[in-house]
Order: sequence, then structure tokens, then C-alpha cells
Amino acid sequence: MNTLTNPNIPEVVSAVASDGTQLRYALMELSAQYKDAIALGRGDPDLPTPTHIIDVVKGAIEQQRTAPTPVAGMPELRQALAEKFRRENRLPVEEENIILTTGGQEGLFLLMQTLLDPGDEVLVPDPRYTSYDEAITSAGGRMVMIPTDHEDAFNLRPEAVEAAITPRTKAILIVTPSNPTGGIVTEERLRQIAEIAIKHNLIVISDEIYEKFVYDGWKHFSIGSLPGMEERTITLNGFSKTYAMTGFRCGFAAAPRNFIQAMAKVKAVTTGPVATISQWAGLAALTGTQEPIREFLRIYSERRKVMMNGLLDMGLSFSEPRGAFFLWTNSSSVGIHATELSYLLLKEAQVLIFPGTGFGENWGGYLRISILQTTDLLKEALERMKPVVERYRAGNLIPGQ
Amino acid sequence: MSGPQTLTRPLATRIAGLPEILERTDTPMIPEAVIDAALEALKAGRTHYTDRPGILGLRKWVSEHLQQFNIASKPDDVTITCGATEARFVIIKRLLSKDDTILCPGDPTLIEGAAHLTDTKIIHDLDQQHRVKLLYITPRDAPDIVEPLLAQAEQQGWWILWDMSSGQAKQFHPSQKAVLAPRVVSVGSFSDVMPGWRVGWMAGSEMADKLRAYKQSLTICTTSISQWAGIGIAET
Repeated sequence: MNTLTNPNIPEVVSAVASDGTQLRYALMELSAQYKDAIALGRGDPDLPTPTHIIDVVKGAIEQQRTAPTPVAGMPELRQALAEKFRRENRLPVEEENIILTTGGQEGLFLLMQTLLDPGDEVLVPDPRYTSYDEAITSAGGRMVMIPTDHEDAFNLRPEAVEAAITPRTKAILIVTPSNPTGGIVTEERLRQIAEIAIKHNLIVISDEIYEKFVYDGWKHFSIGSLPGMEERTITLNGFSKTYAMTGFRCGFAAAPRNFIQAMAKVKAVTTGPVATISQWAGLAALTGTQEPIREFLRIYSERRKVMMNGLLDMGLSFSEPRGAFFLWTNSSSVGIHATELSYLLLKEAQVLIFPGTGFGENWGGYLRISILQTTDLLKEALERMKPVVERYRAGNLIPGQ
Repeated sequence: MSGPQTLTRPLATRIAGLPEILERTDTPMIPEAVIDAALEALKAGRTHYTDRPGILGLRKWVSEHLQQFNIASKPDDVTITCGATEARFVIIKRLLSKDDTILCPGDPTLIEGAAHLTDTKIIHDLDQQHRVKLLYITPRDAPDIVEPLLAQAEQQGWWILWDMSSGQAKQFHPSQKAVLAPRVVSVGSFSDVMPGWRVGWMAGSEMADKLRAYKQSLTICTTSISQWAGIGIAET
């Protein structure tokens, strides 16, 4: 399932098939050709940014409060974030332990530049959001994959983590809830991984950007709150997903003070401070009503059920996502490579879905399907997808015929 | 976080030697047109990711701005960045490799950090020890210094970073010499007018797509409302 065999796939897709990030962008650009396409690809919430956030930003702009802030972020927002981390995540942090980043992705880049020397290894769960690749390799680091699987709901196995440690291992990356799988790393497993990190003197990078979206009674837990972890954990998060404000490009990280100071130095020479209006938006998001998040969660829960039912009806299997916005769907029963299937779904059903290979080379039998469309559009997408999946299911039709 | 305020292992070696942070403190009055454009974008709900290269209207403006220098430019060659800082870093990171040399005949302040982070060297004068890969020039550099260096750039196949965010460009642009154009990347910024909004751009060269892809891997896209606000400048 890991090689492309369909000559009908356009070169713009096949040429970048081995680069997960470029593959996703190539499919997005291709989908722009289809006027009626339903996008279940990118992780950009379709819901509007809450009005109280917009109102605060409007006020800041009207009052000309848009001057540059310190590189690490405006003090009142860093204080509010420290308070959030203490209250919600039980991290013992102060303002000096916080930095604002130009989105979570930049946070990753900054911390890898600050942490890694050439040859250092980072343990990364497989599958993964492939933007980690660029962040790690551009700092000279090397990724070492930690397998996760459907049977274990894509939870991270402590024994798999420990087995991958070498003398060059510097950090363990934890993504919970996970993009692309929707799996979460449970508190019990996090406690075991924390013990491993302490035993081997490793840093933990905890990407918690989907922390607010967990389903069916599952709980998010921050590894940085565990005893002995505060000095070895960098916690990444952002406003984009939680408050449906991806365009503001506002993320944040918590870490020991000296590490934050070093990250700020890197940020000063790579992108400068986060846009001031975005920081006002972040402050409004944190200090205003949290009711929109509860409403978002209710909406996503409903959509998740619609998508799960539709995929089951198509004969596709998945591990029920415990968090985030995605269904990591096993498409191997269709019998064709996921990149081909994604292309065919776009071409014949006008539904944009990312192939599993957009998240790791071993995942040619999986699709990542987002739930970031209205329930009606999700139902329509499922209706369009079903005949295509059935047509190409093993033995029915060879792609291209 | 009590106790020793440090991770248990040292920071990356590249951190030592990074320049101290120079915080900006300027607070110019933002033009009404910028404010109106930003408010309009907020009203229209433009608070989600933009296209990776940046919004078309702003790229068109940059492209037309560059055409005033009698050079070829099209919106497809333009990427909107988080200020000129991001553009300079992306260019140096993507076009150079470890131990490569940047020739900077003028003030290197704006590229020192990026050069340090990418393990590249900056020299002020040509010498025999260093093999130059990129020429960093700005409108502040004297023409009698720049012109012979451009001739060298043509001969040696150097990249040229033309930083228009540093000083007001009048008529000159290195891409006016057609043979140089594929290796010239122009950088500009809206920071003089709207400094806290973090909008800049990079344009041109045969590497425009690859530079754009690297920018995407760094920050995905530039702040949406800031980009729409930039349209306000374009319209005045």
C-alpha cells in the first residue's frame, strides 16, 4: 500500500507524494479547481471567531493600540496565560515562563532551534503532523518514530518510547489529543512516560493544541504538571483551534525561564513579535466568556457522530477519535493507495480528504478526514464519497479505467 | 517553576552568540485607511488562515510597486511574510548552507541574527578566504560600491538579497539587469506605517516557490487581518 501505481494521478500530486506537507498543499491547490468541492482536509475550524474576541480587536484598532510589543509577548497576556496554565493544566508557571508565538507551528520551530544540536534525536509518534519534520530537521535534529496503532486507539506506549531511546535522544514529542489520529495519551501512560523521561534525563515537548476538544468523557492531562517534570517540559498550545481564530497566528508555549528567554532571542531574528492585534485577540479569548468553546465542542461532537456513522456505512473502519477534529480512517479495504483514493475522491466526488501518507510514509492505507464543515455538508460529502469508494473497492474497478 | 531555572540539558549551541533583543518602541499613528480596511476585514469574518502566499490584493500591490522600477514582477512571485524579519530569515536559511558567506557592504545589523542562527558568515569586504554565496544590499548602500559588486555577482552566480525595507529605493533595482533577475530576491515591509501588524513581503527569483514553502513551514501564513489592513496602504 506504500507505492503509487496509478499513472492518472497528476504530476503536481505524485511529484510531492513523499513529502507529507507538500502533498497536503498540492491537494488543497488542486481542489481549488473544483468549484463545488467540500473541504475535509485542512484543520481550519469553519466556525466563526467568537464575537467578544472580534469586539476587543475592533476596539484596539480603533484606539490605535497596535504598537509593537516585546518579542516574548505583551505582559498582560503572558500573565493571563500563566494563570490559565496554573488553573487548567496545573503547571507551576509565571509570566516569565511564557512566550507568544506566531502560531503553534512557529512555536515548534523556535523550540527545536533552541533545544537541538545537529544529530540530536527526537522521539516522534507515528503517524504525525509532518510539519514537525521541518522544525526538527532544520535544527539538525533527527526524528525517531514511535509506532502507535489502531488497536491501542493511537495511545502512546511507554515501552515503545523507552525502546527507542539512544545516547543521542534529547526529547520526546507528545501530541495529545493527536493530529492526525484523534487519539489521546492517557494520564496513566503520561505518568509512565514521565518516569522514563526523568530516568533517561530527557526533555518532553507536549503539544496540547487540541486540549479543549476531547469526547466521550475522556480527559486531557498535561504531563508538565507531574512531579519532576516542570524543569524538563515545554508545553505548546495556541488560540487558533480552540477559539476558531487560525488567521490571527497566535500560539504560546510554557517552559523554564531561561529556555523562554532563549526562544525569544530566536524569535527576534526569525519573525519578531506576534502581531499586536492578535495578542489582543488572545487576551480577549482567555479572559472573556468560555461559552463558545462549550458550544464548539457540542457541535464537533455531533459532527463526529455523523462522520463515524457515514464511514461505517461505507464499510470503512477507524479508531473512535477521543479528541481533535479528525477521523483517522482505515481505507485499506478499498484496495488502492490512499493518495490515489484521495485524488479519486477529489476528482469524482469533489471531496477533499488528505491521504495518510500526508502524515507519515507508512500510512498508505489511511485517510485523515476532518469534521470542520456543517453537518449538512458532512452528510453531502458522505453521500458523494460512498459511490466512489464502492466503485473502486477491491475487485470492482481498476483506477483509471 | 522553582529550583534551577533550566532544562536539565544545555541549550542548543547556536543560542550562544545570538544578538540581544532590540525591542521596537515606535508608535506611529496608523492611517485611517489601514484602520478602515482592518475593521472591514473583521466585519467580514476574515479571521481564518489565508492562502499560503498571502492575499492576492496585497501581492498585486507589491508586484505593481516593483514594476515601478521597470522590472518584471507578478503576484505569483510574491509571498507576504510576518514582517521583513521573517523574509530575511527565510531567504538566508533557504538559500544558504552552513559556513556559506554573505557579503554585506553596509550595515549588517538586520541580518546578523539570521546569519548566526544559520551558521553562515557575514563579511564586509571581499577577501580570498571566503567564497561569497549571497550579496546583501539595501538602498542605503552607495551606488559606486554596489555596482561593481553586482558585476561580481553576475560573474560568480551569487544570490542577491535587495532589502527595500532599509531605506527608500528611488529608481535603482538590481533586477533591472535581466541576467541577475533570477537570482534577486526583493524584501519589503509595511512596518514604517504599521509596525505592530507584522506585514512584510519577499518577491522574485527562481527560488520563489521554495522560499514560499519554507515560509509556510515556519508560520503557515501571515496574520489575516494584518494583510487586509495592508490593503489600506495599497489603496492610499
